[in-house]
Amino acid sequence: MVEKKFCVVIPAYNEASVIKGVVRSARKVFSSFKYPVDIVVIDDGSRDNTSTEAMAGGARVIRHILNSGAGGATATGLSYAMQYGYTGAATMDADGQHDPQDVLRGITEISTGNIDLLIGSRLIDSSGMSRVKVLGNWGLSLITFILFGVKSTDSQSGMRIYSRKALEQLRWKTSGYEFCSEMIWRASQLGLTICEYPIQAIYTDYSKSKGQNNWNAVNILKSLVKRRVMEAFE
Amino acid sequence: MRYLLLILLNIPVVSLALLNIITQHKMGRTPKKRFNRQLLLWVVILTLLIGSFPLYNLLVNRPPLDSTDLSAFDIVEITVIIFLIYSNNDQRRKTEQTERRLNDLHQELSIQLSNDK
Repeated sequence: MVEKKFCVVIPAYNEASVIKGVVRSARKVFSSFKYPVDIVVIDDGSRDNTSTEAMAGGARVIRHILNSGAGGATATGLSYAMQYGYTGAATMDADGQHDPQDVLRGITEISTGNIDLLIGSRLIDSSGMSRVKVLGNWGLSLITFILFGVKSTDSQSGMRIYSRKALEQLRWKTSGYEFCSEMIWRASQLGLTICEYPIQAIYTDYSKSKGQNNWNAVNILKSLVKRRVMEAFE
Repeated sequence: MRYLLLILLNIPVVSLALLNIITQHKMGRTPKKRFNRQLLLWVVILTLLIGSFPLYNLLVNRPPLDSTDLSAFDIVEITVIIFLIYSNNDQRRKTEQTERRLNDLHQELSIQLSNDK
């Protein structure tokens, strides 16, 4: 019987100042899990020492030759997890916004075998989030529903857990942050079981400064509408 | 006569488009949904072409369009539009394929190079 093992993918771009701490605290939490959990940092063409710092924290690092965006980095990480035989995988943010305990809860849930894509939702309990961020994320979730018919409370959440089936089947075409919505749509098209669970968002001064500019929501919206329209002509 | 010319000029492009999509589907390169959509598009174009004569008869000098008879300019315009639809479709398919291969290549290369270190 093949032993289960899990992979936590952390896409990172210019996170040298925090990545070592994020990886170390994650390793500490995951060491208590009954199955092995490996951490892989995808350095998306950073211009600082993100790779070196991530390795110093104890992560395996895959370095992109070209900056490919959050969607591209996530795709590389999940492709790695699929190729190397992991039972499941998780993604979490590199800026310290996510609590590794929440990731572990998600992995524990996925390891029971009934769910294919588990999304950590910050909006089920949005205490700690600013009103602007709550409104922005709620708006994008509504747009995801209007365009793709998929319900989600937090379509832009970077904390997701994937079953082996999801690793093998899930593919998307966008490479920026709009991939978050497209991924849910593709999962729905494939008939994968999608669920959500509540997570906490940890906002430090650093993560707030690194977070998405609200105006980027316009770019995300444009890209999603374009993707939806193009699909009708394909 | 002009209507016949319109059909004769456009039938090769429409036939080529239909042949392409059927071949792609039979060789397993196109998913069923995409095949159905593309087939619908070109069957609609073909139907409108074949039905252009009665369609123009219906619209000539009648509201709301008050159309005039099919002119030589109309024939050229319609032919160019149909050709552009075909060309654009084909180019988009190739661009997407190339983009996908490039992304996959970049991914694999990054993973392989990381393994070698």
